[in-house]
Amino acid sequence: MSVSSSLSADEKELRISIEGRFDFSSHSEFRKAYEDLDARVDSYIVDMSGASYLDSSALGMLLLLRDYAGGDDSNICIADCNDDIKKILAISNFEQLFTIK
Amino acid sequence: METPVLVSELSVADGLSVSTAKILIADDSNTDRLLLKTILIKQGHEVVVASDGHEAIEVFREARPDVVLLDALMPKMDGFEAAEKIRQLAGEVFVPIIFLTSLQSTDSLVRCLDAGGDDFLPKPYNSVILQAKLTAFIRMAEMHRTMQSQRDLIVAHNDRLLREQEIAKRVFDKVAHSGCLDADNIQYSLSPIAIFNGDVALAGVSPSGNLMVLLGDFTGHGLDAAIGAMPLAQTFYSMLEKGFSLQDILREINEKLHDILPIDVFCCAVVADIDFNNSVMQVWNGGLPDCVLYRALDSTVIPLKSQHIPFGIRDSDSFDDSVDTFEIQVDDRLFLWSDGIHEATNSDSEMFGEERLFGVFEENTKPEQLFDEINEALADFLSDKTISDDVSIVEVRAVSPGDFRTSQSGFIGSKQAGPRDWTLKYELRPETLSNFDPLPMLLHILIQVPYLRNFGGQIFTVLTELYTNALEHGVLQLDSSLKDSPVGFDEYYQLREQRLLQLQEGAIEIQFHYKGTDNGGNLKIIIEDSGDGFDYKQFDGDLHNNVRYSGRGINLLRSICDSIEYSGRGNIVRASFLWGDSQ
Amino acid sequence: MNTVQPSLDFDALKEVQGVMGADFPLLVESFFNDSVNLLIVMQKSIDESDVESLRQAAHSFKGSAGNMSAITLAALCQDLEGLAFSGTTVGGGQLITQIVAEYKQVKAALEDI
Repeated sequence: MSVSSSLSADEKELRISIEGRFDFSSHSEFRKAYEDLDARVDSYIVDMSGASYLDSSALGMLLLLRDYAGGDDSNICIADCNDDIKKILAISNFEQLFTIK
Repeated sequence: METPVLVSELSVADGLSVSTAKILIADDSNTDRLLLKTILIKQGHEVVVASDGHEAIEVFREARPDVVLLDALMPKMDGFEAAEKIRQLAGEVFVPIIFLTSLQSTDSLVRCLDAGGDDFLPKPYNSVILQAKLTAFIRMAEMHRTMQSQRDLIVAHNDRLLREQEIAKRVFDKVAHSGCLDADNIQYSLSPIAIFNGDVALAGVSPSGNLMVLLGDFTGHGLDAAIGAMPLAQTFYSMLEKGFSLQDILREINEKLHDILPIDVFCCAVVADIDFNNSVMQVWNGGLPDCVLYRALDSTVIPLKSQHIPFGIRDSDSFDDSVDTFEIQVDDRLFLWSDGIHEATNSDSEMFGEERLFGVFEENTKPEQLFDEINEALADFLSDKTISDDVSIVEVRAVSPGDFRTSQSGFIGSKQAGPRDWTLKYELRPETLSNFDPLPMLLHILIQVPYLRNFGGQIFTVLTELYTNALEHGVLQLDSSLKDSPVGFDEYYQLREQRLLQLQEGAIEIQFHYKGTDNGGNLKIIIEDSGDGFDYKQFDGDLHNNVRYSGRGINLLRSICDSIEYSGRGNIVRASFLWGDSQ
Repeated sequence: MNTVQPSLDFDALKEVQGVMGADFPLLVESFFNDSVNLLIVMQKSIDESDVESLRQAAHSFKGSAGNMSAITLAALCQDLEGLAFSGTTVGGGQLITQIVAEYKQVKAALEDI
């Protein structure tokens, strides 16, 4: 698995892309993707188009991002999930915490 | 016993760092020994000497050198034998043994290695070669020591971790097993180390006789996962014991876990509150895969879907404690599981999955075997592997109230102790009625009389029944006959919710009158609501099938209380308990 | 008897001298004492046909002779050690004679230093 990130042209949006399994092994990489950032971004996109699987520690990592981005005031979109990942997010009712596209 | 001299680093003038050590030379030739000793001392080493094998062992024992230089052929005991003894004495410590030899036959050199030699140093001595070899071996020994101390540290840490886990498990088991997981109508499979996989199963009985079951799955493994289990279990049992409602318990658990757990740790859980007396089950599922309510009557499988965010994520204000309500009948079965069963993976990297799990229900013919069939299907699927440690399943069978027995604690308190003569009057107004459950608090007051604790469950049942009637039929004007059909049943609870939210007027007054004697006592409970009441005189002596009761309730009350009387316009009810010489 | 070849490798010996410094005479004295003892043991071993004892003594003498840069002496000792290693002391007497003669030369050379 790997985590990569890119800033939008106006530096207002950070896109974090996950490849492969999203689990505990991605922990520090995922955190680095948004913590080691000079720009203050308004919104985040977690791009799941390359992610195959997500476990409960990955859900925990998403919660950490949410907390970092301002908790209830955060603006985080989890995008392009496959069916398995969608189901996992749905069971935990994470659509109440994140925008899921 | 002398402490072994550790290798130290000596800085020499040219800035290079040279490792020095304590070195044993064993050689029977005075000339060779003297020459070698002089070379080594010049190189900064500390030297101890021996002139034969026996002496070498003695000196080794006393001086514990870091490196041993052994002449192969010596009188009394040769170098080969001495090397073996020295290896034994050194034990786990790596002491390089270098043979001093001018032996030329390969056989002899092989013998040196077999005897535990690490290298050879040929005669005549060459101080450059000698220094190179010693430096290499001293570094090697140093690395070995570092590795060993790290290994020892890891072993020690691991031992401690296991010991701590064992203690944590024992403490947790005490708390978790204070419930009634062992009741006749409950089956469960749970790994003995489930707590360290994050799985928790709890079951307990409320004072009113409801069975409450919780299956939780914390994120993570090990201590991360176990850390929340204790407060979860304690909150669950202590609130259940005090008679708090499912909603209050859910809220408290969520708040506690939200406060305690790190942001990325949470607890997916399903909690079911089963009221055998009223044949009602309420379920809250936050984050666990669909659990199942299996209907005995028509073998239908009703999925209990996750409607909520797991425990510990949201704060109190945004926590959703709404529950799904189901009517249940005897022999209906409730199946709770964590995702461990879905994710159990066989040697082909396939997961067991929901389809296979629900397939077991489709193929089942004898409901009482469902639990075993699920476990068998999983075992078959995993074939060569033993069932994964992560699989937790709980089955609860609905039974009639009479068949549901749990071991309650024995008689407590003396009849004389505690407050003996008192009255309490408590009036609840609309805002309180719509969002506060007064029963736990009231029960708490009652059990200040130690003697009453023995009847806590029964009193609580009566109190609950009377209060629920006053609220639902008196204040909220709900018609109990609605509950007769499954559709009406849902409607009833929806209406109840709705009217509670919109409640603007109405009140309930609760009174307790307690009088104890040396050998008995009596408790009167009077509940008056602001509702229209009912024509109780019409049902004089026969309270069955009246508008306020849907059958079961009144029988229950009758079986517990010494008397139940209505007065006013049917909006006041008095229940009394008498015991001992007050009877 | 070999009197033509140099008995000592003087380059190597210089190094030994360098290492020993002021203690060099001590080393020489020790070599003389060891040598006398070993010559006696070797002779006795041949007289008694004690192969193992001969081998050990020749081995030991070879080592110290080598360390004293007495290369010819070390080579003769190695021959004697080889003989004993092959399981006999026959012919050892002749080698001893050669060794004694070479040792006298080495001794003289070392005393000159």
